[in-house]
Amino acid sequence: MDIFHDNPMLAGVRQMLGAFARQSIRPIATKHDQEESMPWDLMKMAQGFGMTQTAVVDGRKALTGKDDEGEDGNAKKPKSQARLGVAGSEELAYGCAGICLAIGGSGLAASPVARMGTEEQKQEFRRLLKGDDEQGHIRVAAMALSEPSTGSDISGLSTTARPDGDHYVLNGHKQWITNGQSASVYVVWANTDPSAGRAGVRGFIVARGTPGLVPGRKETKLGIRASETAQVHFEDCRVHKDMMLGAGQSSEGLGDTKKMLDSTRPMVGAQAVGIARAAYDYLVERVQGGTMQGTPLAQHQRVAFELAEMEMEIQAARALVHKAAWMADHNLDNVRMASIAKAYGARVAQDVTSRALTLLGEEALEPGHPVEKWYRDAKIYDIFEGTGQIQRRIIARSIFGVNPT
Amino acid sequence: MDFALDEEQTLIAQTVRRFVDKDVRAWAADADRAGAAPPRLHAVAGDLGFFLDAVPEAAGGLLDGAYSHTRRALRGYELGRGCAGMAALLETNVEPALAVSRWGSAEAQRALFESLAGGGLAVTARDARGALDVVREGEALRVSGKVGPLPGLGTATHVLLAARTGEEHVLALVPTSAGRREAVTPSAWRAGAWGTLTLESAAVPASMVLARGATAVDAITEVLTWWKASMAARAAGVATAAMEHARKYAEERVQFGQPIGRFESLIRLRDDADTGAAAVRLMAFHAAWLADRVRDATSRAAAHDAASRARVLAGDVVDRATIDAVQILGGYGFVNDYPVEKLMRDARPFAQLLGDERFDRILAVRAAQGA
Repeated sequence: MDIFHDNPMLAGVRQMLGAFARQSIRPIATKHDQEESMPWDLMKMAQGFGMTQTAVVDGRKALTGKDDEGEDGNAKKPKSQARLGVAGSEELAYGCAGICLAIGGSGLAASPVARMGTEEQKQEFRRLLKGDDEQGHIRVAAMALSEPSTGSDISGLSTTARPDGDHYVLNGHKQWITNGQSASVYVVWANTDPSAGRAGVRGFIVARGTPGLVPGRKETKLGIRASETAQVHFEDCRVHKDMMLGAGQSSEGLGDTKKMLDSTRPMVGAQAVGIARAAYDYLVERVQGGTMQGTPLAQHQRVAFELAEMEMEIQAARALVHKAAWMADHNLDNVRMASIAKAYGARVAQDVTSRALTLLGEEALEPGHPVEKWYRDAKIYDIFEGTGQIQRRIIARSIFGVNPT
Repeated sequence: MDFALDEEQTLIAQTVRRFVDKDVRAWAADADRAGAAPPRLHAVAGDLGFFLDAVPEAAGGLLDGAYSHTRRALRGYELGRGCAGMAALLETNVEPALAVSRWGSAEAQRALFESLAGGGLAVTARDARGALDVVREGEALRVSGKVGPLPGLGTATHVLLAARTGEEHVLALVPTSAGRREAVTPSAWRAGAWGTLTLESAAVPASMVLARGATAVDAITEVLTWWKASMAARAAGVATAAMEHARKYAEERVQFGQPIGRFESLIRLRDDADTGAAAVRLMAFHAAWLADRVRDATSRAAAHDAASRARVLAGDVVDRATIDAVQILGGYGFVNDYPVEKLMRDARPFAQLLGDERFDRILAVRAAQGA
């Protein structure tokens, strides 16, 4: 088992991104939270670290720029992409979860292109993300899956893709779409044959500016406010059939998207761990300098034991996300473990930030207090990429073979 | 034992509920976005008796006879169902007015009551961690340090301050003109006119020192009892409101072929929250009932213990209930189109204002043990 130790590459990533989080992300986190704005300059800087918008499609290990064809260059040997992903995600979210999502938001769209796209589609995806957009910002991508009436139950997608000659005509509304307003390219999920149900669902690459693609209202959110979330509308939007992911090849339809979500859950859990660790570290520093009625705070069990419990929770959550990632890197079925890691990480992030606020008391009611922000950020980790209830459903189904209701 | 409300209590609860359902809930989202209560709040709530209900009639207020904390808890629960930020403003004058009536000099009474009768606000502050530097100068005090952030302090004219000098507890009335006041807008209770007050060696004359030593300990205990019972009642209201919104959504939202409110996991979330809110509500009412019957040291301690326990549970329950309400609404719960994300933000001050209640309880036990 090598999940308990970082190899030199993982340690290097942790060190580099940890420094990036502390020195570059943390100082601007409050500003972007309060302004609900994307950190475009920082996102451009992050590209310099190898966090490109197309890294997933390129099949490279993010941050190292090397092909992820297995350790020692042997494709059959364990890979390290998933472990790199969780280590990097924890560090970036330690700085700010919203900024972490802003930097990595395009990866949500890139993932199905990498998994299902043809070489031509991958090239088109790269082309659409090349250079800066008309605002001078780096180009980003959006994954358009969720709909107003389709949150947890993605099999109920109502956006349609009607065949029309060499094109498909998309109609429908998407909701809670990361980068929904600003994206230069969208990966849109729509049903090509409603009578076939979920088997008819396909993904389409749609360029910004395509007639009928209408970016909608930007949402005001509880947390992760540096990451843009918006509605996207499709009104008779014509997309060439060549832009249907896996065109001409067999596809599992919606099953492909579910596999994709399985693959990202350890990273999402790791981000939650990063938030919890941020609150924990803040509290440790605060306690070390404080006294209560003449006694150092660290000598009060009320305070010190709370921190001890937080440390237990964080260590357990981190071990779970690394085990789920390690299983992915070793080509083992990690569906159950990925759900466990994601659900537990979300619980720990909420629990640690809430307890930290109570201990800090009035001082954490100051506007812009980082722990209050982390408390708001933490909540989304129990909602997106499959709610806590969906994760428990997956875990329970893996135990009993049926879906509990 | 009789849990039924009398005629007057029923009337108060019904009147405030109508005010909350008709006005406060309608104003809440805009007030939250604006970071300020609507200007007409003062007039509408004033007509219902808020702001001056604890000020004696003789001083221009509405209080004739003994104040009823039980009635206050009843209305606090209803206000919590509406908006915690506006509720904080509507309740903020009670502790300063009652404390100054009871322990204040004629000069302190005149200063505070004239201000409140003129539409002013007063807040209660407690230096839980000894962050203020309070020095005794004869019968007067000199205070340095930062008070708050506290709701109401952004516009308040006076602060009822519970603190310690090196040797003793003190309860004093400090005019905000004695320091530098700054309005702030945190994430929670954004309609609450928050502020901080920075005092730099501010002189508090003897006439404004309400109590010191053993008398101050008793006075502060009573003030905190009133405050904690009211806060617990309001927290129960917030938790109840969160589940009202969640229940309505869960009945309408269909996923996997059925309303999500039929899934056992969500039924449990709602049921646990409702159970917690019901328990806190009863504990708050009981604490307020005891506060109305304080006659001696024993009854004072019993009332404070009940209020403190209510506040401990209230902080936990409102936190959990609002987090779970957001969870039930899912993606809709995380955006501000629906009221629950505001309620989740609004839950936090119940456990954070005036200090960590669990820590207080532990320190009190250790003090009793002579530790």
